[in-house]
Amino acid sequence: MTRWDDSRTQNVSDDITDDTNALPAKYFTEEEIFEMEKDKVFGQYWIYAGHANTISEPGQFFTRTIGDRQLIIVRGEDGEVKAFDNVCAHRGSKMVEDTPMTDPGEGSRIQCPYHLWTYDLDGKLRSTPKSFEEASLNPDLEDEEVQEFDCETNGLNDVHVDTIGPLIFVNLSDDPLSLAEQAGVMKDRLEALPLEEYEHATRIVSEVECNWKVFASNYSECDHCQANHQDWIEGIALDESELEVNDYHWVLHYTHEADVDDELRIHDEQEAQFHYLWPNFTVNMYGTADGYGTYIIDPIDTDRFQLIADYYFQDGELSEEEQEFVRTSRQLQEEDFELVERQWEGYKTGALAQAQLGPNEHTVHRFHQLAQEAYDS
Amino acid sequence: MSTHDQESRDQASYVASCPECDVDLRTETPNEIVAFYRRHYRVTGHEVQIEHAQPEIDTDVTGDGLKDVVGQLQDQYENGVPFGVVAAVMSERGQSIGETLDEIHEVRMTGSLYEPQDDHLGAF
Repeated sequence: MTRWDDSRTQNVSDDITDDTNALPAKYFTEEEIFEMEKDKVFGQYWIYAGHANTISEPGQFFTRTIGDRQLIIVRGEDGEVKAFDNVCAHRGSKMVEDTPMTDPGEGSRIQCPYHLWTYDLDGKLRSTPKSFEEASLNPDLEDEEVQEFDCETNGLNDVHVDTIGPLIFVNLSDDPLSLAEQAGVMKDRLEALPLEEYEHATRIVSEVECNWKVFASNYSECDHCQANHQDWIEGIALDESELEVNDYHWVLHYTHEADVDDELRIHDEQEAQFHYLWPNFTVNMYGTADGYGTYIIDPIDTDRFQLIADYYFQDGELSEEEQEFVRTSRQLQEEDFELVERQWEGYKTGALAQAQLGPNEHTVHRFHQLAQEAYDS
Repeated sequence: MSTHDQESRDQASYVASCPECDVDLRTETPNEIVAFYRRHYRVTGHEVQIEHAQPEIDTDVTGDGLKDVVGQLQDQYENGVPFGVVAAVMSERGQSIGETLDEIHEVRMTGSLYEPQDDHLGAF
């Protein structure tokens, strides 16, 4: 029974055969849900930050914004990747300028431009200017009364960091579940592949007019492929394909109709593998290119998101074939953007209170369940 | 967005694009192209270009320099000239959005321009 009326919606059912198996529409369209997601989704789970190969040397860094938090992701002197809020411990100034992973910055220290508090790459306070050691402008205070800033307790605010191969993740929660638990078998499978041997080749960022979960849901199923991705579907045996669901991760295994040269993929199976990791990250093993891609589905607000698409190949310079491959990938994206923006136009009218999912949209069901669990937590 | 049809492209007052990503933004709100530039630059480092702009202004802007442009435009706006309008005019003079924003910052730091409200300019 289709639920047109908001008063008849229910939370996402555990059983996909129930007709309340989709997230109610209000969770896509209401502004306060986006604010809640900053804490309950993006503030609790492991979020992809970027690729370790782009900051291979100590002192190299990039920035990443997640919800309202702005982070510095930096390679320390010890070779470990660390993450800190891009906020000075003195008076809360933003310290470094926005720096994309594709054009990383470099420095031996992190310095706040406001009062020149300076931090080591491990986040410890390294030095403060003389004006913090002497009270020359304060007639009521003697220099020996000035507090000494402890380097440990006045360091930058650490954010949890973990990796899957070269893929760097951060977690904003104080007490997160482990990345291994969130990623499950995805971690083992990706770490068995030589992902670190591939270089970042290009980044393409699109802004799309729909809630981020609409695109995430669309990515996670292929019932729409036959009608809408006709060029891509030509080489795929959909009836032999499988959508595998795990706790926080699902994989779309798309079987190739014809054998594909082993050198044109980095995994063994003769298929494309699209991995989705809750909440907003994908790893795309195309099966027809010696390389892989990642998507970050970053919300801008309730009505828009950025799709940050990165492509990795053996060489950082794209060959003609690889350029053609990226173009094909872009074609898929544009076809999907049409679909999700059209769905969003319908959703925004408020006519449909709760959608219904089909039996092969079990990946979407899992995604909606995870969203509901996060909202109810 | 690149999903809109040619008709909506023609109708939009402001169109900005990133040639490297082959994506664009169409809007009626001039400062939205500046917000688009900032969001895009933050994650790519790419320069967004203004492809088309039809600011609602009643005067021919004859000045070449940033300060003169703002000075000529500010009578048209009650509480400052939107950055997006300034960027559109400066793009006709060969300056990218990024270059215009950098110059706005530079000139503001001399005291010759100010922001009566966020992302709007007045000339002193």
